[in-house]
Amino acid sequence: MSIDRIVVERATKRYAAITVFERLELAVREGETLCVLGPSGCGKTTLLRAMHGLVPLDDGSVLIDGTRVSVPRRNVAMVFQHFGLFPWKRVDENVAYGIELAGLPRDQVRERVARYIELVGLVGFERHYPHQLSGGMQQRAGLARALATEPDILLMDEPFGSLDAQTREILQDELLRIYQRDPRTMVFITHAIEEAIALGDRVLVMTRRPGRVRELISVDIPRPRTVASVIAHPRFLALRDHCWRLLREQQVMA
Amino acid sequence: MTYDRAVELEPAAAAPARSRWRRLRPGDWAVRVGSIVLVLGVWELFGPSLNKLILRPPSAIFAAFFELVENGELQAALGQSLRELVGGLAIALVLGIVLGIASGRWRFVYNALDPLVSALYSVPSVALVPLIAVAFRSIGDAPRIATVALFAIFPILINTQQGVRNVDRQLLEVARAFNTSERRLWTDVIVPAAVPYVLAGVRLGIGRGLIGMVVAEFFVGLVGLGYLIISYENVFRVDRMFVPVIVVAAMGIFLMGFVQWIEGRVAPWLKKD
Repeated sequence: MSIDRIVVERATKRYAAITVFERLELAVREGETLCVLGPSGCGKTTLLRAMHGLVPLDDGSVLIDGTRVSVPRRNVAMVFQHFGLFPWKRVDENVAYGIELAGLPRDQVRERVARYIELVGLVGFERHYPHQLSGGMQQRAGLARALATEPDILLMDEPFGSLDAQTREILQDELLRIYQRDPRTMVFITHAIEEAIALGDRVLVMTRRPGRVRELISVDIPRPRTVASVIAHPRFLALRDHCWRLLREQQVMA
Repeated sequence: MTYDRAVELEPAAAAPARSRWRRLRPGDWAVRVGSIVLVLGVWELFGPSLNKLILRPPSAIFAAFFELVENGELQAALGQSLRELVGGLAIALVLGIVLGIASGRWRFVYNALDPLVSALYSVPSVALVPLIAVAFRSIGDAPRIATVALFAIFPILINTQQGVRNVDRQLLEVARAFNTSERRLWTDVIVPAAVPYVLAGVRLGIGRGLIGMVVAEFFVGLVGLGYLIISYENVFRVDRMFVPVIVVAAMGIFLMGFVQWIEGRVAPWLKKD
């Protein structure tokens, strides 16, 4: 029996006349990767931001470890689709950002920055500015910045959405490898079905706006995984078709 | 002259300089020097035949330069003008950046300043110089320093304000997601984001400040490069008149280069390569 880390209760979010999601109920378990799929505009990104206290809810609440989230927490880190690197900071300074703010002593910051830059494969690029890096490398830096805070919970907002197909698959494998070494609770927003199945222990398919839970699908493909091994797995096609059908029915209605 | 270009750029807040023309190649230098040599050559050869009195050839101006250095007039005027320029630009820089940041960040300050800034910026600054002359009369360099500051402050203030207001919202959210303190929000996000805007404003401000310096010396007191220009113009010594004009232009070129150098120092991430 696993523990619920993040619990979303009757969450409702409106922007003026638009209801983004309404009375949404969801629980994310300790150590699992929950991938969230849904038609665009269904509120997946808003939901993720609400989980981090970046967006206030109109009704209901998000609980992490049993307490209500109102502001970003130190044990939760976020990775952004737009990378969110500071153009005026070098890679090492960007990676150091979160842990400096957490008040770590300088020598520990240095040690951790080196460790996480190595983990994401950016050794040799410490002193580069973001604009000198490819998109894939920029997101490696974004990932290192989040991981360096050693969070219990990672919130990923379509982190690979703007990368080309090959880079994306390489980074998906990296993420699976990092998870294997050091599993942690993760919520991963995506619009790519293959990505959701490859990375997720469960896949949440949302309805079109106002977003609700259409179905929670368990991905019964064992770890350790690679993208290639997941796609080659006999369960993969059935899972993908199932997700496709659920998403299609939402698109047709839209 | 350098500052004419700056004046043309003024109406909108100038975007951070990042054009592909910024890095000059050896061929660019040849063209730049060549065009100056060509203009000077045509002037030297044909100028005097058009108007002997007014279009004095470059060689005569060159000679006049040494006359003015020898009798010490040029150094004295330059020292005087530099004092005014440095004083005025320092005031414009400090006030412009402080007010720009405050009005970019706080709605109250923005509302309080915006009508004043718009009004003062739309009035040709020259029209205000007599007013300044009266207000600061007989306090040494004060009226001229105030004029330089008045001319230079607006592009700096407006650009700084734009820079602070245009901070990437996504980066502000990132800062929030990492629990950034208010102090670190300024040092890590807002100020660095505004730097290129501020420096573009400073470049424009320097151009306007030079105009302010010369205009103030036309109107207030009998000192500096501006006075040198107008006094030699009045006695039709056009060759001597041109010397301080060229010195002002050289000051502009030097100061622009200096700002560029500063930019490389404080904002190394802007170097595209």
